[in-house]
This record gives sequence, C-alpha cells and structure tokens, in this order.
Amino acid sequence: MHELSMADAMVKTILDAAEKNQAEKILEATIEIGKLTMLNPDQLKFLLEVLTEDTLLEDSEIHIEEIPVEIECKSCDYKGLTNVDDSDHYLIIVKCPQCGERDLKVTSGRECNVKNIKIEKSD
Amino acid sequence: MHKIAEVEIQHDIMVANKKLAKRNQKILDKSNVFAVDVLGAIGSGKTSLIETLIKKMNLKIGVIAGDVISKFDANRFEQYKVPVVGLNTGKECHLDAHLVEHALEDLPLEKIDLLFIENVGNLICPVDFDLGSHIRMVVVSVSEGDDTVEKHPLIFKDSDLVVINKVDIAEAVDADEEKMASDARMLNPDAIVIKSSLKTEKGVDEIINVIENFMNG
Ligand SMILES: Nc1nc2c(ncn2[C@@H]2O[C@H](COP(=O)(O)OP(=O)(O)O)[C@@H](O)[C@H]2O)c(=O)[nH]1
Ligand SMILES: [Mg+2]
Ligand SMILES: [Zn+2]
Repeated sequence: MHELSMADAMVKTILDAAEKNQAEKILEATIEIGKLTMLNPDQLKFLLEVLTEDTLLEDSEIHIEEIPVEIECKSCDYKGLTNVDDSDHYLIIVKCPQCGERDLKVTSGRECNVKNIKIEKSD
Repeated sequence: MHKIAEVEIQHDIMVANKKLAKRNQKILDKSNVFAVDVLGAIGSGKTSLIETLIKKMNLKIGVIAGDVISKFDANRFEQYKVPVVGLNTGKECHLDAHLVEHALEDLPLEKIDLLFIENVGNLICPVDFDLGSHIRMVVVSVSEGDDTVEKHPLIFKDSDLVVINKVDIAEAVDADEEKMASDARMLNPDAIVIKSSLKTEKGVDEIINVIENFMNG
C-alpha cells in the first residue's frame, strides 16, 4: 500500500501552507480520506507521526476524517450514500442500494484531501 | 502578540495527480500518441502481451516499463527495437502521473503511434492514479485464481479492456475462465472482456481490433 508516499505528500502540503502563512506553530491539521482509497487510517497516522518529527508539525494534533462513499445510479437516479459493510465493503460500488442495478458512478469516497490547519502566528 | 488563525488548504493529492494526468494526455495528443495503461498482478502476462502486440500490430509502438523490476522488462522490449523508457519505481506500488511526465520527456513521441505504459504489478494501488492514458487495460491470468476478479472490483470497474489471460492452462489450475469473464462484466458492464492465451495467441487478434477501435475513436 502507498500510505508512505501519501503521508509524505500530505506533510509537504501542510508545511508548505504553514510557511506561506508565516505560521510559528501548527496547532491542528485536518485530513480527509475517502473510504474507497484503501488507505489505512491507523497506518497513515503512524507514518504521519514519524514523518513530522523535527518539523513544525511535530506536536500538532492531526485529525483524520473518513469520507463516506456516495454513488450515482444511472438506472434509477439514486444519488447519495451507500451503506458500507465492512466485511465486504466493495459491494457498495457494485450495486445500487435502491434498484440493485450495477451501472453506477462513484461520486465521493476517493479523496485524499488536506483540508485545513490551525496555526499560531505573530501579528 | 500571537494570534490563532485557521487556514483553508483543500489540496487533494488525488486531484493533483489527476491534473497532472490531464496534462500528460495533452502532451500525448499533441503528438498524436494513443496511450494504454497496462495493469495487472505480477506474472499475469503484461510484458508478454505487450511483446506480442509489438510483433503483430502494424503501428509504431513505444513502451514505458514501470514494473518494479523495470530493467528486466525494459530489456525485453528493447529487443524489438522500439523506444523504451524504464521507470525505476523503487518500492513504489504504482506509477503516478508525475513519473510518467518525466518518462514522456525521454520518448521520441513524434515517432510513436501507440504507447504502452506497463504499470507496477499490483491490482490495488494503481487504481486511483490516472497517468494520462487514453484507455486502461487490465491483464488477469487464470492462475491467480478464478475469484481474483470479484476480489478486486475497483480495478475492473475502472478499466476499458479486461484481458483474462493464460486460458491455455485454465484446466490445469482448476480455474473457470468463464466465471472470471462474467465477474468482470458484472462489475463493469461497459468494459470489453477478452479471453486470451499468449501461448496459442487465442484472443490476440481480438485485442488488437479493440485497441485499434479505441484509437479510431
Ligand atoms: N501458459 C501461459 N503462460 C503465459 C501466458 N502469458 C504469459 N505467460 C507466462 O507468464 C510469465 C509471466 O509473464 P510476464 O509477461 O512477464 O508477466 P508480467 O509480470 O505481468 O509482465 C512468463 O513466464 C510468461 O511466459 C499465457 O497466455 N499462457
Ligand atoms: Mg512485466
Ligand atoms: Zn439505482
């Protein structure tokens, strides 16, 4: 799995934004991960801890928010959430929860988004 | 005095990759190169299929060899005197648009009609990373087990062409190639599914036809 390269890209994105905003401290950072990305949040969290050592992010609180899966059905016009069954969570992208048809588009659940940070700076 | 500020970032790493992929496709289109992202597990037959297509297709072909053991595959392609760039992905489990962007710089695009990009042997990680190719072809072999397709729905849902390979040994490995084909159709009603053997060349003409049809829009 590619948690490491993703974590690396996220840390760079955050530090970049912090620098642009003249942050002296990063208090919090929020990351959104789609449930279909196959990224393991626990592993990601661990890697973020390792990668942020000796950076402005070292003592920050990093929140990882999971984004649920949404689909659009081309057969019945169903739009919205699908239930995630953890034992077989793929089924959701295969079958419309309303009509059971298979012609679906995944509209959300594949994000890997650095959302925002809370920083401290001098004014 | 210190103040606390909230800074919106909203930088999606997947979206950033997609943007780069779009740029790659523009570069390809400018030189009239049609690109195929070739996905599939290690040993499914990606390199063998590309070799067969180089021999049988009457087109100027180029290859980006991105499998982890890229040197070996790149050497295999070089025998056919086609332009090849081997990407050293290290331990990376997928190619991304940025790696491909650099490979494109090293290829004589004006001399290529059809570019195969052999992705890293993996059925999961490459799915989310568009490279800028025009179509995606996934090669799955019967020896991986005939439940391989249903176990990896995302990659099949995202591919335009599904090749069920090594049907010559299906019986020997007790695999039902029909089941694999129907699983693929179930997951992706829009995909074209072809059963092939690179030993007997079964299905190869069909694969060539499909790729040429995609090329002609
Ligand atoms: N029996 C049989 N063997 C095949 C077929 N296609 C590929 N192979 C063999 O499978 C092995 C792996 O093939 P290769 O193309 O290197 O797989 P890759 O890792 O996906 O690039 C090689 O020994 C090939 O000769 C096929 O259709 N039938
Ligand atoms: Mg190979
Ligand atoms: Zn529906």
